[in-house]
Amino acid sequence: MSQKPRVLVAMSGGVDSSVAAALLVREGYDCVGVTMKLFEDGADLPDRPCCSLDSTSDARRVAQLLGMPHYVLNMVDHFGHDVIADFVSEYAAGRTPIPCVRCNTFTKFSDLVAKADGIDAAFVATGHYARVAGGQLLRGADDNKDQTYFLWGIDRGVIPRLMLPVGTLTKPETRQIARHLNLPRVADKAESQEICFVPGGDYMAVLRRELPADAPALIPGPFVLSDGTVVGTHEGFARYTIGQRRALPGGSAEPMFVVAIRPDDRAVVIGPRAEILGNGLIARGVNWLTDPPKVGDEVGVRVRHRAPIVAGEIVRLEGTEVEIALQSPVAAITPGQSAVLYSGDVVRGGGFIAASRRSRAPMPVLS
Amino acid sequence: MADPIYLDHAATTPVRPEVLAAMLPYYDARFGNPSSTHRWGREARTALDEARERVAACLGASADELCFTSGGTESDNLAILGGWRVLRSTGRRGVVTSPIEHKAVLEAVHKTASEGAEERMLAVDAGGTVTLVDARAKINESAALASVMWVNNEIGTIQPIAALAALAKEHGVLFHTDAVQAFGKIEVDARTIPFDFASISGHKIGAPKGIGAMFLRRGTPLEPLFFGGTQDRGRRPGTENVACAIGLATACELAVAERETSSAKYRLLRDRLQAGILAKVTNAVVNAGCADRAPHILNLTVPGADGESMLMALDLNGIACSGGSACQSGSTGGSHVLAAINPAASTGASVRMSVGSLSDEAAIDRAIDVFTKLAMKASGMVAA
Repeated sequence: MSQKPRVLVAMSGGVDSSVAAALLVREGYDCVGVTMKLFEDGADLPDRPCCSLDSTSDARRVAQLLGMPHYVLNMVDHFGHDVIADFVSEYAAGRTPIPCVRCNTFTKFSDLVAKADGIDAAFVATGHYARVAGGQLLRGADDNKDQTYFLWGIDRGVIPRLMLPVGTLTKPETRQIARHLNLPRVADKAESQEICFVPGGDYMAVLRRELPADAPALIPGPFVLSDGTVVGTHEGFARYTIGQRRALPGGSAEPMFVVAIRPDDRAVVIGPRAEILGNGLIARGVNWLTDPPKVGDEVGVRVRHRAPIVAGEIVRLEGTEVEIALQSPVAAITPGQSAVLYSGDVVRGGGFIAASRRSRAPMPVLS
Repeated sequence: MADPIYLDHAATTPVRPEVLAAMLPYYDARFGNPSSTHRWGREARTALDEARERVAACLGASADELCFTSGGTESDNLAILGGWRVLRSTGRRGVVTSPIEHKAVLEAVHKTASEGAEERMLAVDAGGTVTLVDARAKINESAALASVMWVNNEIGTIQPIAALAALAKEHGVLFHTDAVQAFGKIEVDARTIPFDFASISGHKIGAPKGIGAMFLRRGTPLEPLFFGGTQDRGRRPGTENVACAIGLATACELAVAERETSSAKYRLLRDRLQAGILAKVTNAVVNAGCADRAPHILNLTVPGADGESMLMALDLNGIACSGGSACQSGSTGGSHVLAAINPAASTGASVRMSVGSLSDEAAIDRAIDVFTKLAMKASGMVAA
């Protein structure tokens, strides 16, 4: 009996990866399911190595129904170092991180690919809403669900080994398939936009646990206007992100937003809407998933998950740093978030936003 | 794929046909409750009393010294918590154990600590054996109870139970031993070694899961964990699992009768497996390889290989074994036993293989072949 290649399927117990597994099994691939244990569920109970998240049980049940072997992989150490520690240090530095990017870069599409190598799996599959074609990564078919914003950092060489079976579907189609396949428990699972290791969305609790009590990010500092006027006191700049309106001092004629965070003097700079508009950005740690673009190339730019893709132009490219001029202003370009670059549906690459530019950067001198 | 090979007898074993046959009538015509006074009850009571005598005899004990439990975990908990809770009023606060115990013991000891006990961990040498020098320092007049396993479930080391039990007795300390992996492999006899408590488990020796026993030397105080009945003299209330008790008795008798021949056979197979792997995977390390080991367990570390990938690959290639104890391979956390004896084990793939009733030379040779290929690939060695 000739068998199709082996695929390692990352199964979280959610509907997307469950349907991904089901589709691959149906196509006859030799599927092996794994669920990654990424952090201790309940740090208060360090002596319970067998503690099972409900989601792990759901993944196991789906694998059982599909007749595929399923394993739990303990990636707690690497994930803690590569993702959680970075998440904390980014907030401590006054930025707003997206841990999902680093999880994809370091955990799912690096550490997990190594596990796939260990079991001679030719492919790695996940439930991401993105597509692979011709060695390129493409936006998912469902515009509402497209997850390429989180995938720009992966190793380009891994793309030919990816299988993203739900990337061609819409979320309702995925749920429909889950129901048809009698995966009822996962089919109707509520969508979670939460960061997996931040229960209840309370990221401050994570920071309080991981940082010293007197960390600058957690202690009071001034609210200032761009002209330097102090207008109040905040309870720690880690509570703020660019563009935020909540928990700011009142008394201004127009709505005020967080414009900048300055860790050096713990200041949270606030200002009216005009001050959060940016006409350009600088991104660092850039990674390319296609041949790199050149200065002067037009690209589509997305500066946060689900934000519209706006037109931009590459004005500077040095090593892993890129500067982009935007055709029209974009609100709340936030350091720590990603800038992801597209050509049509193709993901060209991306980087971590280091700074936004208020004024449109001057065009480079062409030689 | 060729038939898969089971090399995880330390995790569990199939129920022996003789055991199942002995049990079946008690699920059928002889279904009575041993506490009932009518003929059905009497019939079940007779079988249960006999089962208790038979298991006790296998441990060199009397019937009144034996409690049936749900297995090793319950026996460990009952002995440690039940013994400690009686003794804590005496002013003795020390509860002594070793870092390489099964979690059923370690967590029960942690529980005593939360109830006021002073936890004392015995030093373990690099060979995976408790050191008597340290035991002499910690098992003393201020200790209430000590618990050391007879055979370690991950690396197979045989602990100096005779010396430890004697030391405990000398100082008036209650001594418990988790004999789950020892029973049926090496002699466990309450007449020759003065332990106060011993735990055994049915499913490691061909009886079903969910039955075990705790030996409790006559006169040893015990506070029960359960309440609500007078079964087992109130030490373990709840309607007895008659059929499984009979299964356990049958399995124990077979294990004792066959112990010397089966242990000799297992040792040959285990040593064949070990030698076959080491001949090719020359950088593999046998954990506790120089220590006195039970005959059925082999624990290897392959340096430079990834443990999880290795275990998955072994399973996908038909070799069933485990990374640590079965419980840990559910989430494949690092082994606390290997961490205690060989910190370098964490930098390689550690695999426990345990032979038993399903093992024969052909299976071992095929396992050597598969293991060798995977280990050499995983550690970057070139196949010879």
